[in-house]
Amino acid sequence: MNSSIATPSTCGLLEVSGLSKSFGGVKAVDGFSFDAKPGEIVGIIGPNGAGKTTVFNLVTGVYTPDSGSVRLDGVELSGWRQDVIAREGIGRTFQNIRLFKGLSVLENVMTASDPYAPYNFLSAILSMPAKRAADRQATGQAREYLDLVGLGGMEEARPESLPYGLQRKLELARALAIRPKVILLDEPAAGLNPSEVREFIDLVRRLHERFNFTIVFIEHRMEVVMNLSHKLFVLSFGKLLASGEPEVVRRNPAVIEAYIGDEE
Amino acid sequence: MLQNIFFGLSLGAVYSLIAVGFALVFNILKFSNFSHGGVMSFTAYAGYLAYIWIFDGKVTGVAMFVAVVLTAAVVGSLTAVGIERVGFRRLRSNQAPVIYYFISSITLGILLENIITIFASSNFYSYPVFFSSKNVDLLGTSFSVADFVTLLFSTAALGALLFVLYRTKLGLAVRTVSFDVNTATLMGIDPNRVVMATFALSGALGGISGVFLGMNYSLYPQLGQLVVKGFIASVIGGLGSITGAVIGALLLGIIEVGLIGLVGSGWMPACVFVIMLVFLLVRPRGIAGVIVQEKA
Amino acid sequence: MDYIYSILTLTGITMIGVMGTYMVTGLTGQFSFGQAAFMAVGGYVSAMLTLRFNLPFPVVVLAGSVAATLTGLLVGMPTIRLRRDYISLVTFGFGEAIISVLNNSAQLTGGAEGLVGIPKRVDLPLVAVSVVCCLFLVACYKNSKFGRQSLALRTDELAARSMGIDVNRMKLVTFLFASAITGYAGVLYAFYSQYLEPGYYNWTVSAEWLIIVFVGGINSLTGAMVSAVILTGLPELLRFASAWRILIYCIIVLLIINYRPNGIFGDWEISRLWKRRKAVQGGRA
Repeated sequence: MNSSIATPSTCGLLEVSGLSKSFGGVKAVDGFSFDAKPGEIVGIIGPNGAGKTTVFNLVTGVYTPDSGSVRLDGVELSGWRQDVIAREGIGRTFQNIRLFKGLSVLENVMTASDPYAPYNFLSAILSMPAKRAADRQATGQAREYLDLVGLGGMEEARPESLPYGLQRKLELARALAIRPKVILLDEPAAGLNPSEVREFIDLVRRLHERFNFTIVFIEHRMEVVMNLSHKLFVLSFGKLLASGEPEVVRRNPAVIEAYIGDEE
Repeated sequence: MLQNIFFGLSLGAVYSLIAVGFALVFNILKFSNFSHGGVMSFTAYAGYLAYIWIFDGKVTGVAMFVAVVLTAAVVGSLTAVGIERVGFRRLRSNQAPVIYYFISSITLGILLENIITIFASSNFYSYPVFFSSKNVDLLGTSFSVADFVTLLFSTAALGALLFVLYRTKLGLAVRTVSFDVNTATLMGIDPNRVVMATFALSGALGGISGVFLGMNYSLYPQLGQLVVKGFIASVIGGLGSITGAVIGALLLGIIEVGLIGLVGSGWMPACVFVIMLVFLLVRPRGIAGVIVQEKA
Repeated sequence: MDYIYSILTLTGITMIGVMGTYMVTGLTGQFSFGQAAFMAVGGYVSAMLTLRFNLPFPVVVLAGSVAATLTGLLVGMPTIRLRRDYISLVTFGFGEAIISVLNNSAQLTGGAEGLVGIPKRVDLPLVAVSVVCCLFLVACYKNSKFGRQSLALRTDELAARSMGIDVNRMKLVTFLFASAITGYAGVLYAFYSQYLEPGYYNWTVSAEWLIIVFVGGINSLTGAMVSAVILTGLPELLRFASAWRILIYCIIVLLIINYRPNGIFGDWEISRLWKRRKAVQGGRA
């Protein structure tokens, strides 16, 4: 098949340093730094309530950091609006799946290309040829993303009617469709059963090979963490506890005490 | 001048009763409860009927006033609890999105209004005169007794509410639930009972404000639409903040009285709208400065 | 016959008004309690231009819609970035403000007595054609990038932003388009009834439109239109007293909200019928 979804020309370099955010006196994130080199898969782990999701929310502009910087390919993004940051090339998924319930599966993915769709208000309300051509192309692309994650044939379904595992995949397809340089996955394997987890790991590998984007993910499942990540950062009480290669971090006594020791 | 400020304060005091009743429910369920207007209309009529059917000839003057207000407060509580049952209980168990609460509350408000229209017709009734139209002289200016009583009674009602909220177990439960429903539930608080209690408190305030509105504007089914005054006051004060609501309401009362003097009552709504728009532009979070953010 | 003719015309005009509400509520999930006020702006501006300057009808139609859109800009700009509750309040306040302005500028607008002597330029065929045209425009809008982005932000603003959607801009664009359509409904009403009075544009009219949209199902334009016909045309024909009519509305809405939250039509659209047929034909070929 002749694919119309091009691979992004550059994969992003994400550098986060000295990130801090407090909520009413509680320091949720305290001087946290991490980086992801182009094409790298980076895991962020840490006990519950360590501030991992807050880090994602700071990077994507849901919250404005109190201090610190977020740079994508050298461009400072902190303080920018959330939608602008997304258009700069940071895509994400959410811990508690957040799909657009009013839209079909296909339309969910199409929203990614809509901010760029090359037609104006007038051609939209009159359904002019330019609009129809652009929408046809967007539909085709969205279908390809759905095929990639294995949702082909479910285009017209309602997202809320999909089983949980497929909803996760749909959210991933939707994030892919914005053609991110960096993609942030917030507990992407949460709620999946063991066979789904293995399938998910393969899927991420495949997508990574194809698009070669940078991936940062938060995860509790050690299987996912050890299989996917090139590098690990451990967050505890908002602070960086350890970082480095997965095997090394895993053996770090401080980490075992704070996190892995709890689980096993 | 001083007289106008006093008049504004007394108007603001009535608004603050509305605004606080409004803010109480907002605090817990995080939506703007427009059915509060229906409660106000309903109780204003209930107070009036209690006066004609029950109390007339038995008590007079201030005692009569107190009797009518208390009746209205009780009826308001019951109505609000009933509204919660019919309009919101099922939505809560379905975990419906906020817009459904909103539309449900508007619908209930309109419903109550039309029930009144059907049974009492859309005629105006005038409320009994509880107080002589005498004026009291103080500091060289004269104040009307009615304004004075309004101010006094509203303050007392708000004081009682604050006592319940901050000095009783029930109040603690209400504050806990408004902070975080899930944690409160885990701590053994029954959210249904707390929500009911909140509606009862809010309804009691609605009942008292209904009587005051009836006294000020005479009785008609759309009386409850003055609930927007409470909404405007809440916005100025900061949605969900009780203190903010009171401050916002007092400000709104003074501004309105001032505007009537300046531009006349006809233009007043347009001016209030512009002021509100400017306020939202300058300080959208309100005076109290709490902003309710969507959870990420 | 005249009676039925007039009910059909007014129902058509209501349908166009409801389209505006459908966009604001159904597409972006906001509640406008001042939608009827945009109708007032459209109606009064076009009528006054005709009475004062005797401008040709197509020009005043355009002027009425543009005026409504500009008013929408004035109201929408400061509020659209705020919590949804505020837009209801501001549109409500705006509705009251418009009525108070109309009442108090008697030399210009006829004040509370109303504006009389508007020539009759609108009849049933024109309204019918207008309904079809507006429906086409709104349906195309819903089915374009604008509609998709609006629906996305309605269910989840935060997720919509994470997809790069400029939420505030999108809300404003939809709000303005709705204002224009509602303004047009106002023009139609003015030149059909030949008489305007401020009291007609009370917030209860806006609330009624909202209820109509909800009964039909906030995800379905088809539902909104069917429910507009059923809830406005039918009671008129059966000559219900208005208080009872509204009472029944309210009970229906409460039942729907509690027991069928997606409205009667859910997210079903009539366009699916031919979409499906096309898919079947495509499958065969």
